[in-house]
Amino acid sequence: MDGYIYNWNVVWDSLPELQQGLIITLQISIVGMALAIIFGLTFAMGRMSNYGYVKKFSTGVVNFARSIPLFVLLFWIYYGLSLKFAINLTAFQAGAIALGITGGAYMAEVFRGGIEAIDLGQREAALAIGLSSSKAFTLVVLPQAIRIIVPQGVNVYVGLLKGATIVSVIGVADMIYVAQYISLNSFTPFEMYSAVGIAFISLTLSVAGLAYLLERRLNRSSANV
Amino acid sequence: MSETLLKINNVTKVFGTHVVLKDIDLDIVKGEVVCIIGPSGSGKSTLLRCINFIAPPDQGEIIFEGKTWKRFHSRFNIFANRKYEGELPRLRSEIGMVFQHFNVFPHMTAVENVMLGLTKVRKEGRAKAREIAEQSLIQVGLGDKLNQYPEKLSGGQKQRVAIARALALNPKVMLFDEVTSSLDPELVSGILDEIRRLAKDGMTMVIVTHEMNFAFQVANRIVFMDEGRIVTMGTPDEIRNTTDPRARAFLSSILG
Repeated sequence: MDGYIYNWNVVWDSLPELQQGLIITLQISIVGMALAIIFGLTFAMGRMSNYGYVKKFSTGVVNFARSIPLFVLLFWIYYGLSLKFAINLTAFQAGAIALGITGGAYMAEVFRGGIEAIDLGQREAALAIGLSSSKAFTLVVLPQAIRIIVPQGVNVYVGLLKGATIVSVIGVADMIYVAQYISLNSFTPFEMYSAVGIAFISLTLSVAGLAYLLERRLNRSSANV
Repeated sequence: MSETLLKINNVTKVFGTHVVLKDIDLDIVKGEVVCIIGPSGSGKSTLLRCINFIAPPDQGEIIFEGKTWKRFHSRFNIFANRKYEGELPRLRSEIGMVFQHFNVFPHMTAVENVMLGLTKVRKEGRAKAREIAEQSLIQVGLGDKLNQYPEKLSGGQKQRVAIARALALNPKVMLFDEVTSSLDPELVSGILDEIRRLAKDGMTMVIVTHEMNFAFQVANRIVFMDEGRIVTMGTPDEIRNTTDPRARAFLSSILG
């Protein structure tokens, strides 16, 4: 980087704006993850359904949602819905929905993998004592599957967190957007984007740390007390 | 001993193209102990699982206490299926089942395993449920393991939890599906003793087992199955002296 004069002061000066961006990034990724969990659980159940057509439909939706680039999805939802159906979403809403759909496709597989990893005998034993199919699921199968689902769900969330940087293209004022905006005026893209990078690294590590504590808690509740 | 409690009528079960059970008829009288024997893959376990619709029969019916249960499935009418599925717990909660691989719930303590059916199926309050569950576990000799998680229990202890879990619901009939097959040899007799105790108390039981000596000792009636059919049945003495060639071959291969 010959001739490039570093100006880290810009980063310090724009900390309040970056912090605002960070909050937006967190908000949009959390709303996106909540949607992904709902979407994922729904389609995981669909893929495990006894009804052939529900199974095929759900598999199709999951494969479709998994193959669209987030970037394209974002454009379809934000501009496409507005142009074709006059559904005008805010950039934040469109971003959260796009993240929810992409994340949901992955969560569907995470849920399915976790649930199918539980021995069939568990469900049979639950049915045999007279529990309904849904109670057998919520009281016996799901609590065991959660231990497999949580660590993988955290991975999906970290993916969404980083994927959330794309929403700046439709004008959501996230960290990337702030960095871009400020560096355009101060000619300090290297410094600003590096600051964003560091923020993401610490964010991801914190999420991993929280996940570790959560996993330990889940495992402790199954271990001998 | 004459009141028929459970009637298996013309039951057929198919997995894919493989006919696992073919036209099975069997009546079980109240208080009777029926042992089902036969080679592996003869359909013994499947028959047991048809009784409480864990594996619903494809044809035929189960008549339990005068009520007829038939499989129902519509390809498209989800509501009709849900209604049918919603009925099954009533049948299952009256029938206790113990499995080869125990299937205790690993995320619950021994006493919670037993309480689950009491609180969620029998709708007992927690205090009452705990009391019944503890009694049930004490009866199978686990009074000192009430709050242990299954991973800290031996195979035999897990199987006792499973037996207590079924008995706590006060079932009218107990189904035992090769319950000693995955136990270490030294733990087998303890579980068999539990079953003998139940037999003495007059519990109606259908037992699938490979423990021939036990079967001949505890059963009122022995059913020999092969290739998805009931080949022959009778009292232990009748089966011991059977003239059926397949039953003879099976018994001599096991008893020597």
